Amino acid sequence: MRPRRLSSMKTSYAHDLRLFPTAWKRIGLVLLLAVVVLVPLYVKDVFWLNLLVIAGIYAVAAIGLNLLTGYAGQVSLGTAFFIGLGGYTVVWFADPTRWGWPLWGWLPMAALIGALVGAAVGPIALRVRGQYLVIVTLGLVVVGQYLFRNTESVTGGNNATIEATHNLVAIGPVNFADLQLFGFVFKKEAGFVYLAWIVVLITALIAKNLVRTRPGRAIQAIRDRDVAAEVIGVSLVRYKIGAFAVSSAMAAVAGALLASYTRFISVDSLDIFLSIQFLAIIIVGGVGTIYGAVLGAVALQAIPEFINRFSDSLPYVATGTGESGISVASLNSAIFGILIIVFLIFFPHGLAALWERTKAFFQRWPYRT
Amino acid sequence: MTTPQSTTPTATSDQDEPRLSVSGVTLRFGGLVALDDVSFDVHAGELFAIIGPNGAGKTSIFNCLNQVYKPQEGDIRLDGEQVMGKKPAKTAAMGMARTFQNLGLFVRLNVVDNLMLGRHHLMRTGFLAGMLWVGKAKREEIANRRRVEEIIELLELQQHRYQPVGLLPYGIQKRIELGRALAMEPRVLLLDEPVAGMNLEETEDMARYILEIRNELGITQIMVEHDMHLVMDIADRVMAIDFGREIATGSPEEVQNDEKVIEAYLGQET
Repeated sequence: MRPRRLSSMKTSYAHDLRLFPTAWKRIGLVLLLAVVVLVPLYVKDVFWLNLLVIAGIYAVAAIGLNLLTGYAGQVSLGTAFFIGLGGYTVVWFADPTRWGWPLWGWLPMAALIGALVGAAVGPIALRVRGQYLVIVTLGLVVVGQYLFRNTESVTGGNNATIEATHNLVAIGPVNFADLQLFGFVFKKEAGFVYLAWIVVLITALIAKNLVRTRPGRAIQAIRDRDVAAEVIGVSLVRYKIGAFAVSSAMAAVAGALLASYTRFISVDSLDIFLSIQFLAIIIVGGVGTIYGAVLGAVALQAIPEFINRFSDSLPYVATGTGESGISVASLNSAIFGILIIVFLIFFPHGLAALWERTKAFFQRWPYRT
Repeated sequence: MTTPQSTTPTATSDQDEPRLSVSGVTLRFGGLVALDDVSFDVHAGELFAIIGPNGAGKTSIFNCLNQVYKPQEGDIRLDGEQVMGKKPAKTAAMGMARTFQNLGLFVRLNVVDNLMLGRHHLMRTGFLAGMLWVGKAKREEIANRRRVEEIIELLELQQHRYQPVGLLPYGIQKRIELGRALAMEPRVLLLDEPVAGMNLEETEDMARYILEIRNELGITQIMVEHDMHLVMDIADRVMAIDFGREIATGSPEEVQNDEKVIEAYLGQET
């Protein structure tokens, strides 16, 4: 019998390429899955469940943005536009008064539409780069808001609502909005925790696979040195456009999930601030790592929710209309701004690097370096 | 007939057709003539050196060979195949591999990834197959990883395998870049100042690797280099250029003693 391995000694290339090569990493994965499965079973407070749902949905889009910005080196402020695109896909395809598609129809459709529109926008990145690309994608958000607002017959206008139907988020007998499993009856929020985090897992796996194979290496090569990349045979056209398509598809999937959760899309919320929030997520989480995007999404989603919940006991925060002090929304904006600055200066590699450092400390223990 | 694999040492003398044939290449930037009617042939398995004073146009020749610059006139053929007018990425697929004077590595990626990128044009996995990690994508990764490991061994890079190349010393980075070019399975390897900025030990190491590549792998190499000791010691043939014009081509001894070359380097005797 082959001896069981606990060490990090690798004995074949297949082993070297494994995503979870050591026993500890596999144990970690199982623990993580256990937490996601158990939390909705035992947590009944809607506050926590809602937080987990939104964090999960944001993590999906953040993974996508991190592929584009962290791996391909293309800084984009267009995330809000693609989130909107995914949301209106649900309005159009899933609303029972329109096409009434089920979950397995409209979710891939959102990915497809996101990918196609992303690929159409991608060529811009071939002509402009750096801060110019940021400005162009900024324009995309403004144009998008205008389009969403004025194509009312398609999008439902300023405030689109999605008809409450029983099976909007159902796959066969499993309805995530009204989940009943093994005698447990779940709240709508609890069901959505499962849905959102299943999508997070699939997205993370897809992203991880991408960055460890040929196309993922190619986009990172373009980030580090585009002339050298082209000279060794990497087509800038194909891989820049590809990175935009994949990233936009993930943002659109997040947008579709969000719309199916809230059953409401406000054009006003699809603004620059939403895009900046995603930049903040990947900066705080760690640019250029997959799990960093997830960490960042959870951390940055928790902050505004906590402020909202505990605004009564925070000083100088106005809770009612008549009170003086800073509003909850402004405080959130300020905190995101401060976090971006603090992390860029003091922790440029984000929470992911802090975790890596902690891990390295214990791996070397009791030695210090 | 062209041979797609260059790793098999090919006979040098009994082939009439040169591996690389450059004739009448002229490159202008506006009114400035960077290269003026440059012609040379390089035979399979040969170690060919290009020398010349600063600004003579040595790197411009490389940039024309892989079509980063588009020369206005001339003809470049790789095993008889037209190179002129091709995209840089296409010339890489044809077998033109190069290193850069001031390093063109992907600094945030590790050594293995940099070398795997050299094999980009030999691999097929696209976005969808990569994202789904289908069997074909996995098998391709493993097969190419194996070849990369051979190069890591040849260039003695084992201990740096998983380090981001940006953190490694300059001499090692130069070696990694050579490895990446080798990973491309090139028909012609273009080395742009392989020992620039290196100390004596690093230079000797690099010379050893270049000779190993010629003798064991039989790969045709063209080297641009300022270190005359190195060029005269290891090159089979040398071409000297000055102000974009070829002034002498021949064995190291011939070029060393050529009057025009001495004049270009030291100035005219009065």
